[in-house]
Amino acid sequence: MIEVNNLRKEFKKTIKEPGLKGSVKSLFHPKTEKIAAVKDISFDIADGEILGFIGPNGAGKSTVIKMLTGILTPTSGTCTINGKNPTHNRKNYVREIGVVFGQRTQLWWDLPLRETYGVLKEIYEVPDDKFKERMDFLNEVLELEDFITSPVRTLSLGQRMRADIAASLLHSPKVLFLDEPTIGLDVVVKHNIRNAIEYINKKENTTVILTTHDLADIEMLANRIVMIDKGSNVFDGTISELKSKYGQIRELNFDTNDSEAKERLVYAKHFKVNEEDVIVEQEGNMVKVRFDSSVIPVSDMLTYTLGKIKVNDISVKDADIEEIIARLYKHEVG
Amino acid sequence: MRKKLKIYLPFVNAGMQETATYRTNWVFWQLGNILGCFISYFLWRAIFVSSENGSMNGFTMPQMIVYIFLMFLTTTLINSGGTYDIGEEIRDGSISMRLIKPISYNATFLFQELGNKIMTVCVLIIPLVAGVEFVRYRFTGEVQFHILMFLLYFLSAIFAYLINFFFNICFGFIAFVIKYLWGANMMKNCIVGFLSGQIIPLAFLPEMAKKVFLILPFASLNYTPVMIYMGMYTGTKMLMYIGLQMFWVLFFWGLSKLLWSVAIKHLSVQGG
Repeated sequence: MIEVNNLRKEFKKTIKEPGLKGSVKSLFHPKTEKIAAVKDISFDIADGEILGFIGPNGAGKSTVIKMLTGILTPTSGTCTINGKNPTHNRKNYVREIGVVFGQRTQLWWDLPLRETYGVLKEIYEVPDDKFKERMDFLNEVLELEDFITSPVRTLSLGQRMRADIAASLLHSPKVLFLDEPTIGLDVVVKHNIRNAIEYINKKENTTVILTTHDLADIEMLANRIVMIDKGSNVFDGTISELKSKYGQIRELNFDTNDSEAKERLVYAKHFKVNEEDVIVEQEGNMVKVRFDSSVIPVSDMLTYTLGKIKVNDISVKDADIEEIIARLYKHEVG
Repeated sequence: MRKKLKIYLPFVNAGMQETATYRTNWVFWQLGNILGCFISYFLWRAIFVSSENGSMNGFTMPQMIVYIFLMFLTTTLINSGGTYDIGEEIRDGSISMRLIKPISYNATFLFQELGNKIMTVCVLIIPLVAGVEFVRYRFTGEVQFHILMFLLYFLSAIFAYLINFFFNICFGFIAFVIKYLWGANMMKNCIVGFLSGQIIPLAFLPEMAKKVFLILPFASLNYTPVMIYMGMYTGTKMLMYIGLQMFWVLFFWGLSKLLWSVAIKHLSVQGG
């Protein structure tokens, strides 16, 4: 469905020396430097898959999405979507895709929402009966009814985002690009939007590429994750692969009456590992120990702890994806 | 063709609705222009009153006054905000939203502006033409309005608008390189204002400069339609200038297509 091979995008950037002197200097002798926002990215997406495309701020996600949607021309490398090259014959290509940029809107700012859909109907040449059917469907999934007659500038962010997603789906695209579709939304709206995306993906086998900073989006929706950083691939695989590869971090929580538990539990010394591999925090009766289970087996950890102090209650927690990704972003693992 | 029209007609509608939404802004904008027009009127009146004979470079004072008001009407009719709009879209990155639709970038601007133009024309043309004719009547004592002349003027103004539109689009593409156009746009407006006879009739210029300026596309903007309305271009001369206008329409249309295909490869979207 989607093939991306060694995609690269360079931008020219003017370097300005600091201060007024620098400004004057750069006016006459602008120094430019080529910056590769995207260095070398490759991945494939199968038909009907939902791909979570993640990475820290400035990793090049948006630039990749803009190349895939035909807005930017790659410096080198290729991307093929549905057998088409986005930058060749843009007008023809974009008929088959839907795009939502969470930070911008494709709706007509000063027109009632309904009119935007009317414009889109003509642009995509959707026949009348299909259009009606589609609007009913989108209405049901995204609940547009309450505000469809209001001008777009008066919509709340949550309403606008739902309206934007509906606009991107009006022509039943084969591929849907969602660039931060849940940014700035409350939990309920987020939940509705996730459900809508999942429903449409299931029902119409729409391929979805989703970039987000909200990992709950990813956990709920994505079958697969591609993570990039500094313009290159970091990880490509399913969530469970991500967990088994990087998710050896466990969290041991226990309740004890021993107020000096932290001092008594000298894990690093006992297991002969680095201090960073075992992090102990104590707050009153509650003690939290985070450790890498590939370095210290969970059973050894428990045996040592229970032998050392008196414990009232104990639990071991799996690493959550949020933590793994935070560690990946901070280059602690990988 | 019909199918294409159906795609772009909603843009006309949207343009009209946009103008209607911000009608107070529109009224103030037009009032500002009318005030500017009266400033020119008083300036030129002072010049003519202090001149020794009542005529300058073939213009009498009443003709000059008619010229000023016609210039204002024509400028309003053919004014195009393409440069500003493209500049803004590039500056804030919203150009992306236009690019993800299966439509021609230039055509959406054209049809959107057409919508807002239709509103302007409907509201302004009758009072302005009536005003110009009233001035002519007051100074000459006879009604000079010819419907044929007016229709030719209108046709010429349509060509002028198209030249202006595509010229502005071409100019707007500079934003792909320099990112923010406000300053360059101001400079362009001043130069075009001078070269198109908005400030001083081209007839007032030295012979050599006049010859060159009349061939340049800018004279085809305001000057040609005004000259037709005033009856200063007639017969073959008029046909020649309308022909020249058509040439410039095609020229800038072609240039805008060419520049677009070059510029789009250099696009770097700002802000997210």
